[in-house]
Parts: sequence; structure tokens; C-alpha cells
Amino acid sequence: MSLFFLSLLNPGLPLKVPTAIIDLDNSTMSRKITRSLSAMETIEITEQATSFNEAMDKVGRGDIFGFFLIPEDFEQEAISNRTPTISYYSNLTYFIPGTLAFKGFKTIAVSTSGNIVLTTLVAEGINPQQVETLLQPIVFQDHPIHNPWTNYSIYLSNSFIPGVIALMILLVTSFSICSELKQGSSIEWLKTANGSILGALIGKLLPHTIIFSIIGIFSQSLLYSYNHFPLHCNPLIMIFAMILFVIATQTFAVFICCLIPNLRLAVSIASLIGILSFSITGFSFPVENMYGAIGIFSYIIPLRYYFLIYVDQALNGLPLFYSRWYFIVLIAIPFVVLPLLHRLKRALLHPVYIP
Amino acid sequence: MRRIIDKILKWVTSLYLVWRREFRLVFTDAGVLIFFFLLPTLYPLIYTLIYNPEIVRDIPVAVVDNCRTTASREFTRMTDATEAIKIIGYASNLNEARQWHAQKACYGILVIPEDYEKNIGRGEQSHVIFYSDMGLLIRYRELLSAMTDLSLATGTKIRQELYNTDSQPINSTSIILGDTKQGFASFVIPGILILIIQQSLILGIAMLGGGANERRMRNRGIDPLAVKATATATIIGKALCYFTIYIPLVIYILYFVPVFFNLPNIGNVVDYLLFIVPLVFSSIFFGMIFQRAVSERESSMLIVVFSSVVFLFLSGLTWPRYAMGKLWIWIGNCIPATWGVEGFIRINSNGASLEQNTHPYIMLWILTCCYFLIILFIELLIKFKPKKYHPLRR
Repeated sequence: MSLFFLSLLNPGLPLKVPTAIIDLDNSTMSRKITRSLSAMETIEITEQATSFNEAMDKVGRGDIFGFFLIPEDFEQEAISNRTPTISYYSNLTYFIPGTLAFKGFKTIAVSTSGNIVLTTLVAEGINPQQVETLLQPIVFQDHPIHNPWTNYSIYLSNSFIPGVIALMILLVTSFSICSELKQGSSIEWLKTANGSILGALIGKLLPHTIIFSIIGIFSQSLLYSYNHFPLHCNPLIMIFAMILFVIATQTFAVFICCLIPNLRLAVSIASLIGILSFSITGFSFPVENMYGAIGIFSYIIPLRYYFLIYVDQALNGLPLFYSRWYFIVLIAIPFVVLPLLHRLKRALLHPVYIP
Repeated sequence: MRRIIDKILKWVTSLYLVWRREFRLVFTDAGVLIFFFLLPTLYPLIYTLIYNPEIVRDIPVAVVDNCRTTASREFTRMTDATEAIKIIGYASNLNEARQWHAQKACYGILVIPEDYEKNIGRGEQSHVIFYSDMGLLIRYRELLSAMTDLSLATGTKIRQELYNTDSQPINSTSIILGDTKQGFASFVIPGILILIIQQSLILGIAMLGGGANERRMRNRGIDPLAVKATATATIIGKALCYFTIYIPLVIYILYFVPVFFNLPNIGNVVDYLLFIVPLVFSSIFFGMIFQRAVSERESSMLIVVFSSVVFLFLSGLTWPRYAMGKLWIWIGNCIPATWGVEGFIRINSNGASLEQNTHPYIMLWILTCCYFLIILFIELLIKFKPKKYHPLRR
């Protein structure tokens, strides 16, 4: 699964977004714009369109993700100070390509405008060096902390791979506990543990803990060692976080089984929560911006805390102190479930399978 | 001639019987009802509610103002006034700001250097430095575009003040197509809706198959509730039954949900409903093939739930398909939802016509035919070699 993500997202950024240019002017200046557009890293001009309608049609067909329109008499109007308008269209129904096309177009639009200012001002006799500063009086230096390539894979793999692991744990755990109920072997299972529900659970789930931790640590090694994604903390911290996360997710599944000791329902709820946690834990859309009544659910999901630890520790390399609460929650989750275990025990002693 | 008509009549009658029996099976099985009705009804609502705020606003940002002049305060005020950014306060130096960042009090740090105003006055370039947290990409995106726009706008203003030139020789306008609000729900939900249709169909059908399997196990390999009919009549009859059930659901999911939540919905209703027909049929046949591959009701769930994540990625919603490797494109081509997402998004959000989506539309029909032939082949195989494929002898 981790391999799936990493190979799918291998380039890091989907550069070369297919776009089109409509050049209605066909002048030296417009051809220059076309050339600078095709020199951009983020976009690639794959189509030439002769009219707005044609380009819109291509967007509708999905051939291009945006286009750049140079109007008629563009050069003439620009030189004679009649302020022509260039426009660019980006299709944001596909977020990443749309955004990249937008960024590329914008850069070109701004620099085109700047070049014309430069030419006119130099012609007016202003010192060219001064003009350059004039073009961009304020330079904005952007520093994406610890991901200067704005690599999309770093972000997506680090959030989706633990998500998939959590989903797997939730399903396998609830399945293995409740299928004892379905097959009627639960009494026997309790007997092997001398009637102690805690012993029975630990005996059943500990091997899973080990397997899932190995899977988790293996995927971490793929991320941080093989792919060299940012890891600005002691690797042991992330390994420790992974093990805690595995245990917390397992107990979360036990919690579901305690509430609903029925194979089908428990597995359904587990998968519902597992799938929803990709969205609700807020690594695609921040929790603070969700509706309060919805966002509050993200706090009960172990995945959120693992993700926050990752951001703090591996990505930002902060002192452990700032992540203390996330660790405490992950450690505390298993104990919260303890008082509910008697419910599960009662159900295990009286297995009823409803088809 | 008569015999042929008789045969056809018999076939149609058995088709009807299969259809009726399947209806009964669906409505008497709580598990199936959950997947056919509850899941497609509730899931779109929950999903959209999560993302419905659409845009990330007022991201907390700290300012380190080393210049402390009117100009720098003005710049700070302008930053605060952008939609994306909210200034939480002045940090005395970068270290303090970093501490705020560590405490999650801010997700970005704006540093205005000492010579900011002096440089502007002299007609030299001033630099502003912005550090942004990369934990969430959507935050970075908003911060970046807000700061870029702001520095451009301030630059233009300064230029005009200094040289009194009408320094904008060209206007440029940006037009956003499809997701005009640039919102998150508007972009992700239309695709998810298609996946929900496909996955709930597969799940429900797998559940029905599991139920039939369990009945066979209890009844020496014969399902007492199965209707005697030819393989084609059984397959088509069942498919028509699911299709009938999904007509109202599809209208609810694809028409009402986008309208409820004010997501993009500029498509022609007839166009996308026609478009979705082969998606439903290919998902049904896909589900039937899958049904033959798993025997137990619950284990089918595990597989379907997992595959949802994979299908979501293969559909190109989050990661564009043109940037994928050949292998993944090919696997994606075999999944109905890939084409469904592509076509539905374009019709629904970009207002494209069905004609413009001929390619995905035809691909969906091809998938429908292929999956139908495969399931027909499997059913015939089971019919002629009943012993070998006996569920009791596994």
C-alpha cells in the first residue's frame, strides 16, 4: 500500500499541466509571451486554439486545464498606452493542475506587464537599474519550512499512509474480535484466557500489534530513509509514535466492539470511521475551519494525534515538549476503554448471530 | 417462428421473476439495505458537512517588524486585511515568533527587514520574508497566494506614488472555471459522489452474494431462494433490479446533494443522468464478478473499503492522471469510477455536454460490456461444472 502511494506520487509535483494559448494578435510581443509560457516549468502548451469557444470546448473535453488569451491588437494597444487586457482561465475542478496552471499564467501576466513598463521607462530616460527595482519595489521571499520543493508527495504520503494503516487496524481488529461471536467460538476463547476479558484481548491482539507496528515502521523507513522525506527528529520518536498509534487504534476498534458487539455492524462502523478519518482528522482541510459540531469528532481519532506528532517532530523538528499532549492522548486512549470491557465480556458469553 | 416467440416470452418471464425475487431479497436483508440505502443517503451529507466551510480563512500569522515605521505598519495592516491571513501579534524577534509557531499559535511568520522603508524611499527593492508551515498544503496555498497578491499590489502603489506614472500598461484578469469559489468541498465532493455510487453498489451486491452463499452452505449447495432461469436472464434480471433501486438514489446523490450544499451544479441534468447509466451498469457487473470472488459477507467489506482509497487515487481526483505511471493509468482505466468521475465533474462543474464527454462515456459502455461478458462466462462455467465449484467442497 505504501508502495502504491509512493510510486503513484513519484514525481512529487505533477508538472507540465496541459494548457492552451489563444493568440489573436500574432505579433512579436504575443509570440514572445507564447515562448515564455512554453518555457515555464509548471505548464506545457499542448494545444493551439484559434478562438475562445474552441478553448472552452477543449476544457470541457478535459484536454487542457486552462488557457491564456491574448486579444487582438494587443501589441499596438500596449505600446500606445491604451491598456489592453490579457486574460487567463484556470479550471479548478481539478485542484492541483488548476492551481499550477493558474500560478504559471499569473507569473507570465505579471512579467509581461513588467517588461512593457521597463521598455517604456527606459525609453523615457530612466536609469535601467532603477527601473528594475521599480518593477518590483517589494520582493516577497517565500520560505516553505522544511519542504522547499513544495513536494506534494511529502505531504500526501505522510498523511495517507498512516490513514490506510489505521483503516487496516480498525477493520482487522473489529473483524477478528466479532467473528468469534459469529462463529460461536467466543466462550471457548474466553475460557482459554481463564475468563479474563483483558487477557483474552491481549492474547488475541498482541500479535496484531507486532505485525502492524512492523508494517508501520517499514512504511516509515520507505518514507524517511528510502525517499529521504524530511525527518528532523530522532527516528526513535517516530517509531515510538507509530507503536503508540497502532495500540491506540486497536483499542479504538475494541471500543467499537464494546459498544456494538455484532460482527457486521462493528465492521461497518469501523470502516465508516476509518474512511471518514481521512477527511475529519483535518490533514486535507484544517479542523479549525470546519463546523464546530463536525470538527469536534476529529479529537477522538488516534490518527489525528499521530499526524500532529509527525508535523511537529519529523517535519518541523520541534522539541518534544510541544508534542507532549499528543503523546499523552495516545497513551491514555487504551485506558479509557477499560471500563467498557465488561460489556464486551457479556456479549462474548452469550453469542447471538443475527444474519 | 412460434417456438422462437415462445422462447423469448419464457426468457422475459424468467427475467421478471428474477427481478422480483431479487427485490424481495434486497428488502429483507438488513445488511444490504444499509449499503443500498443508508450509506448512499448519509455519506454524501457527512462528507460535504466536513468540507462545507470550503475556504480556509484567517490563518494566524505572526509579524516580526524590524523596521517599525509607518510603511511597515501599513504593510502589516494590509496583510491583516487579506481574507486568508489574520495577524495575531508582533513578536519581538524571530525566535519569539518561532516559539509561537511551535505552540501552534501561528502558521506563518512575516518578517519585515530593518531597511524596509528606507529602501522604498530610495527607490530600491525592499524584501519581505515569509515563513510558512508546511503541515497542511491548503494553508500554504492560501498564505502564498495572499502574500503574492499583496506584495504585487503594494508594489504597484509604491510605484505610482514615486513616479506618478500610470504604470500598468496591461490589465490582466484571471477567470476561475468550474470551482469558482476555489473551495475544497466544491472540488472534492462531486468526485466522491461517483465513488459512493460505485462502492455502495459493489458492497450491496457482495453482501447479497454472501447471503446466497450462506444459504447454499446450509442447504447442501442449493440456494432455495434462487429462481430457475438461464444465465443471461439471471444476470440481467438482477442488474435491472439494482438499477431500478438506484434510479431515485442517483437523482438524490447527483442532483440534490450539489444543490443542497451549493456545490457547482451547472451541468445539464439529462446529460449527466444519461452519462451515469453505464456507470451504474458497469459497477453492477463489476460487483457481480467481485461477488463470485468472495464467499463471506463480512470479508467482502474489508476488501471494498480498502479499494475505495485506491480507487479514489486512481480516479485522478487528487493527483492528475496525466502525471501517473502507465501501469496506474491502465489499472485506473478498468475502474468504472475513474471514467465516471472524469465525465461527471466536467458535466456538473464545467457545464460540458455529453457530446464533449464521448470518450469516458464510450469507455464506460465498453467496461459494461466487458464485465457483462466476464460474469456471463463465470456463471456458465459454474453451471456446467457444478461439482468443481461447489461451495461446500472448498
